[in-house]
Amino acid sequence: MTAPVQLRGLNHFFGNFQALKDINLEIAAGEYITLLGPSGCGKTTLLSIMGGFIEPSEGAVLIGGKDTTRVPPARRPTTTVFQDYALFPHMTLRDNVAFGLRMAGANRRDRHRRADEMLALVGLEGGGAKRPHELSGGQRQRVALARALAVDPDVLLLDEPLGALDLKLRRAMQDELKSIQRRIGTTFVHVTHDQEEAMAIADRIVVMNAGRIEDAGPPARIYQKPASLFTAGFMGEMNRIPARRGDSGLETPFGSVNLASPEASSLILCLRPEAIRTTQAGFSIGPARVRDAAFFGTHVRAHFSPDAEPDFVLVAHLPPGRVPDQGEVMTLWADPDSISVFPQEN
Amino acid sequence: MRSLSWAYLVAAFGFIYLPVAALVLFSFQSGGLPVPPFEGPSLRWYADVIGDSDLMGALLNSLVVALFSGAVSVALGFCAAYGLARHHLPGSTLMRAVLIAPMTVSYLIVGLGLLIVLQRAGAGLSLWTVGIGHVVINLPLCFAIIYATMGAQQQNAERAARDLGANEAQVVLLVTVPMLAPAILAAFFLSVTFSWDEFIIAFLLSRFDVTLPVEIWSLLRSGLSPKLNAIGSLVFLISVAGVVALELLVFRKRQ
Repeated sequence: MTAPVQLRGLNHFFGNFQALKDINLEIAAGEYITLLGPSGCGKTTLLSIMGGFIEPSEGAVLIGGKDTTRVPPARRPTTTVFQDYALFPHMTLRDNVAFGLRMAGANRRDRHRRADEMLALVGLEGGGAKRPHELSGGQRQRVALARALAVDPDVLLLDEPLGALDLKLRRAMQDELKSIQRRIGTTFVHVTHDQEEAMAIADRIVVMNAGRIEDAGPPARIYQKPASLFTAGFMGEMNRIPARRGDSGLETPFGSVNLASPEASSLILCLRPEAIRTTQAGFSIGPARVRDAAFFGTHVRAHFSPDAEPDFVLVAHLPPGRVPDQGEVMTLWADPDSISVFPQEN
Repeated sequence: MRSLSWAYLVAAFGFIYLPVAALVLFSFQSGGLPVPPFEGPSLRWYADVIGDSDLMGALLNSLVVALFSGAVSVALGFCAAYGLARHHLPGSTLMRAVLIAPMTVSYLIVGLGLLIVLQRAGAGLSLWTVGIGHVVINLPLCFAIIYATMGAQQQNAERAARDLGANEAQVVLLVTVPMLAPAILAAFFLSVTFSWDEFIIAFLLSRFDVTLPVEIWSLLRSGLSPKLNAIGSLVFLISVAGVVALELLVFRKRQ
């Protein structure tokens, strides 16, 4: 099953500390959402509010159109996959997965059949008689997922579910989570601080910072056209070029460029490293000297000192064909469409 | 140096176990006094013990009091630990301290205090009052053991159980208690052992039905006899059985 989630005007305080500030968010049924942000940004608090573990100081949570703000976790159509898995160590995997069904009063045969189905869904068929301590971290994560999905929730909440796994396993599990979500169609809300993970799985990323939603949208839009300077910096490496409004567009140390810009005396141009190129484009950075360059497989990552502003360091991702020598001078351009402009923050 | 450390080991174990070994040995004495030279072996004193209905009655009383007071101590200790570990209560630090404090009070004081209170309240002395006394001394121990093992791991599992639809009783019975089973069993067996050979409180708070240590004490007043050695050996045997059961049931499982 699946259901939409609406968060309306959520504010939450821990003592004097405001953990969430005016959160409004609409999540469509069957959507895969990631809440992305640095630690302490309020993303886990927001997830706990959706799961019913925390009652918000202000605002409402609607799941499937019904107000569930004060409904306890046991009676919500949500289940949670916890960061540390929280499996029951004294039960077999089958009993772990069947726990929710047992609480719902299903008979032993039905719940064991369902548990075996769910274990098969997460790739652990035939493992029902094992106990959690016999499993690896990745397998425990799968059991936790199967247990949360066994009760057929409308919304599945995942609290940094892949945080404890090594990088390779994490990438494999991301693909698997996404494909499971596609198959069952349940709404997934996934908390992470890893922007690559967020981009890999989400239909929509919600970027959070200091208790606020900074930006929300599809991964490509969030990455290429971030709504705030924070989002721009958090989503990956970024060149920040100071600029000012002038007569012929925006004036930068490398020349001017014609771009729409917010009303502010000093501005920041954000330019992704891969948007810098050595072929002609709308924004000319001019000749620049290579400080160092390294081969990364899919690209060559190089630092440049532009001749126009030798103290400024630009990071660029160039095609992997050739690694430039140190001290080599190359002429750089960037496509104005790939530039985002924000007011300078104090 | 090496031989010295071996000698120390032998001396230490001799110091601990020689009295027990002598007690057990002279319980097989065929003569009338539990002193050297050893004559026997003979089982006549064991037959005497088993034929003594007062002694066997006291042994049964001891077992009943030990098991019952152990169960009550563990149940109350668990509830206190669960409440204090899981809920923010006003003055919880003070409550913890007050719960553990009786451990530092001597059994004599606890026994005398209870005696005065019970007399004032008009409650007659019986095995019940002995049981109450043993709960008083074992509850702090059970609380301390169980409270110390309650950690974030159970708490997260409890959250998960609630999330999956369990009510509070189901959370406690299906998740918390099984996860804490080693601590709960250890607390229970320790309580049973302490109650089993506790003398002062049992002596002060009992009248007609007595526990085994009290019965042994009254036998002692009529002088030494290998019969006492035999009953002592039986008590020792039961205690050892308890410790072995604890070892097998609780600590082995943990590995």
